[in-house]
Amino acid sequence: MTSIYNFKKITPVPTGNDFLDIILSKTQRKTPTVIHANFAISRIRNFYMRKVKFTQENFDERLKSILDEFPKLDDIHPFYADLMNVLYDKDHYKLALGQMNTARHLIDQVGKDYVRLLKFGDSLYRCKQLKKAALGRMATIMRRQKDSLAYLEQVRQHLARLPSIDPNTRTLLVCGYPNVGKSSFMNKITRADVDVQPYAFTTKSLFVGHMDYKYLRWQVIDTPGILDHPLENRNTIEMQSITALAHLRCAVLYFIDLSERCGYSIKEQVSLFHSIKPLFANKPVMLIINKIDAMKIEDISAEDRALLDAVVDNDKVEMMGMSCYTEEGVMNVKQTACERLLQARVDAKMKGHKINDILNKIHLTQPVPRDDNPRLPFVPETAISKPKYDPKDPNRVLLERDLESLNGGAGVYSADLKKRYLLESDEWKYDVIPEIWQGKNIADFIDADIQEQLDELEREEEKLETEGHYNSDGEELNSEDEALAATAGAIREHNKLTQIESRLKTTKNRPMLPKTALKRKVSEMSDHLESIGLDSSEVRARSRGSKRARSQSQGEAIARSASMARPETSVVRDRTMSGVRNVKQKLESEKVRKLAQRTPNLFAKRGESDRAVQTKMPKHLFSNKRGNGKTDWR
Amino acid sequence: MLTNSYCLVAIGGSENFYSVFEQELKDVIPIVHTSIAGTRIIGRLCVGNRHGLLVPSTTTDQELQHLRNSLPESVAIQRVEERLSALGNVIACNDYVALVHPDIDRETEEIIADVLKVEVFRQTIADNVLVGSYCALSNQGGLVHPRTSIQDQDELSSLLQVPLVAGTVNRGSDVIGAGLLVNDWCAFAGLDTTATELSVVESIFKLQDNGQSAIVTDMRDSLVDTYV
Repeated sequence: MTSIYNFKKITPVPTGNDFLDIILSKTQRKTPTVIHANFAISRIRNFYMRKVKFTQENFDERLKSILDEFPKLDDIHPFYADLMNVLYDKDHYKLALGQMNTARHLIDQVGKDYVRLLKFGDSLYRCKQLKKAALGRMATIMRRQKDSLAYLEQVRQHLARLPSIDPNTRTLLVCGYPNVGKSSFMNKITRADVDVQPYAFTTKSLFVGHMDYKYLRWQVIDTPGILDHPLENRNTIEMQSITALAHLRCAVLYFIDLSERCGYSIKEQVSLFHSIKPLFANKPVMLIINKIDAMKIEDISAEDRALLDAVVDNDKVEMMGMSCYTEEGVMNVKQTACERLLQARVDAKMKGHKINDILNKIHLTQPVPRDDNPRLPFVPETAISKPKYDPKDPNRVLLERDLESLNGGAGVYSADLKKRYLLESDEWKYDVIPEIWQGKNIADFIDADIQEQLDELEREEEKLETEGHYNSDGEELNSEDEALAATAGAIREHNKLTQIESRLKTTKNRPMLPKTALKRKVSEMSDHLESIGLDSSEVRARSRGSKRARSQSQGEAIARSASMARPETSVVRDRTMSGVRNVKQKLESEKVRKLAQRTPNLFAKRGESDRAVQTKMPKHLFSNKRGNGKTDWR
Repeated sequence: MLTNSYCLVAIGGSENFYSVFEQELKDVIPIVHTSIAGTRIIGRLCVGNRHGLLVPSTTTDQELQHLRNSLPESVAIQRVEERLSALGNVIACNDYVALVHPDIDRETEEIIADVLKVEVFRQTIADNVLVGSYCALSNQGGLVHPRTSIQDQDELSSLLQVPLVAGTVNRGSDVIGAGLLVNDWCAFAGLDTTATELSVVESIFKLQDNGQSAIVTDMRDSLVDTYV
C-alpha cells in the first residue's frame, strides 16, 4: 500500500553555484552561438533576446518545480505539518520557499526589462553588453538565495528519510518515559529492527513498523521517550512524540516500568501520564506495565499501587502487564490493543452515513429452502486426501513447469496436449485423423452408433416385409370419393385464382401504365360503345385505313416573282441618350466613365477585366544590367 | 475454467502459471489445455459444471474433438448456437442451478437445462445482465457484485439455494468472474486480492474450517474498517 504522503520523490535542490552552472550552461548549449557584426541588426537583436528569454524561462521553470514539489504546510495532514514545524521550523521553511518565489519574480522582471532594452540595441556590441548585464543580474539574484537553497536541500534529504506514516490508518502508538522498553515491544510485534540500547533517548525520531492482525495491516509507531516538563521546555526529539500523539487517530500504549530500572520512579511516570492526558482524548488508551519479569504488579508498594489504581479507575484505562524479555503477555497486549482500536474505529464508522453503502457486504444471505431437493456439494475423495504440494520435495509429482525446465525452457518446450486423452485404448492417443476428406468435414460425419442405427433400420424394414406391408397395391378409391376430391380440387383452384386476381387488382405494388399508354383495339372500343348503345360506325370509319386522295400534282411555277427592295428602317435613334433622363445627367455619367478608365489606361489595359501580361521580361529592360555581386551570370 | 470434475486452462500462456492449477488439482480432476475458437479467453467463452460443458458456436471441430477426448465420459459437451457467444459472461452456474442473461435464446436455455442438468433462471446481478462476470458460484456458496442490494441477495440466494455475500476481488474489482475461480473444495484468486478479500472468499465457499457466519461475526469489524 502506498501512502499519499510520500516525500521521497522531491528532486534534489542544487546549491547556489551549481544552480547557476546548470542554467547558464543550458543556455549555452541550447541557443545559437554564432553571430557576426555585419548581420542585420534585427537578427542580432533577436539572437540576444532569445538568450535572455531562454535563461529567464529556465530559471523560472526550475524555481517553480521547487515550489511545486515541496509540500505546502497548509495543504498536508496536520500531523505532517506539525512534524515539519518541529523538525524544520515552520517560519524558516515558509521563508525559504517565499524567497524562492520572490527570486523567481525578480528574475522574470529582469528578463522582461532587458528584452525590452534589447529592442533598442543598435549594434552587436551594445546588444551583447545588455545580454551580459541581464544574465549577470539574474545570477546575482540567484546567488543571494544560496542559503535558502542549501536549507531546502537539507529539508529534502531529511523529508525523504522520514518514515512513511499514514495518518489515517489503524495505528498503535507506543509512548512513555525513555528506556521503559518501547522499542523492545516494537521489535517483538513487528519486523521493524529498531535499535535498542540500555540508555535513555536511544530512539531519537519516530519509527514505523507494520504487523498483521485479523486480516488487516496495522501500523505501529515507536516514539522517542518523553520527560515530564512543560511543553515549551520540550526538545525536538520529545516534540515529535507529542506531535504524533496529538494528531494521529490511534490506540495509545502508555508504557510504565515498575522496576524503575529506567531511572524514573513510578510516581514520576504516573505524573507524566497525567500531564499528557489531554492528548489522549477520544483515543483508546492502555497502561502497559512492562518488565514484569523484574517486578510484578503485586510486588510494588501500596503507595505506588494506589497511584496506578487511581489512573485505572479515573481515566477508564485498561492496565496490562507484559515482559518483552520473557515475551510473556506481549501477544495479549497486541491483541487487546488492536481489538480496542478496531472497536473504536468501527463504532465511529457505524455512526457515519457511509456505512449504509456497505451494509450488503457485511450481510450473509442464507437461502430460504424452496423444495426438499438436497443440493449437496461434490468433493471427490482424492481432493481431500491429496497431500499438500511441496515444491522442495525431491519426490514431488512432475508438473508441466518441471517438464518445461527439463526440456529446454519456455519458448522451446511445447506441452503435449494429447498425452492425457481419456480413450479406450492408449494406443489411439496419437492416431492421425484427417480433418477434411474429399472436400467433406470429417467431424460432420462422426456418429458413434451409426452402425447400430443402420441395423435398427434394417431390422424394422425386414419386419415390415415379413408382415407383408409391401404386398398389397393399396385399395382403390371408390368413384364417389374421387368425384368429391375432384370438386374440392376445382373449388380450391378457383379460390386460388380469384385470390390472385383480386390481389393483382387491389395491390398497388406493381408497375402502373397510364391509360393513354395502353394499347387498345378499335374493335374493343366499338364493342364497348355498342354495348352501351351508341353508334360506333363513325369511330370505325375514322380508324379504317382510308387513304387521303392524292391531290393533283402541280408543275413548278416557271417565273420567279419580281424582287423587291428591303423597306428602309429609321436610323435616327441616339443611343447615347438611352437610360439617361436629360443632357445634364448624360454629361455626368460620361465624367464618371472617364474617371474609371483612367487607371486601366495608365497600365495600358482595355478595362478592369484585362489581366493579360504581354511580355514577362521585356528584353530591352533587362539586358546588359548587372546585379550587385553577380558578375558571372553570363 | 474450474468445475468439480474438470479444469480448463488456455494454450499459450506460461506453463509456470498453469502449473499452479496442476499442483493443486493433478490426479484429482483432469486439467485440459485448450483454446476456444482459437482464443485464450476460455473462461469467458465457455461455461460448465460437473455434468457438462457448453462451448460457443465459434469453437472449431478440432477443439471440440480435443475436449471430447480429454474429458471423462460423464461430462457432456455441447456446442451452442447462441448470439451471446461469451457464454462464461452470460451464464453463471453451479451443479444444480444456473443464472442466465435475460436476453438469452429460449433454445439455449433448454440446452443449458439438459446438458448441465440445472434449473435455469433469467436474472440480473446488481442490474448487470452479465451474470457470469459479476458473480462466482459453487455448491457451497456464492460471491456477488459489491453493489448487490440485500433484497437482491435474498432473491438470488433463494433461487440458488446457497448462502451469498457481496464482495470484491483483486483489490476492489467488481468483476468477480474475472478474478476468481472456485469449485467445492478450492478457489484461485487474482494476485491483487487482499487478505480481507481472501478471507471472505475462504469463508463463503467453506474452504476453511470457520463457518460462513464468520463474515458477520469475526470478520465484520475488519470488513467495516476496510470498506468505509
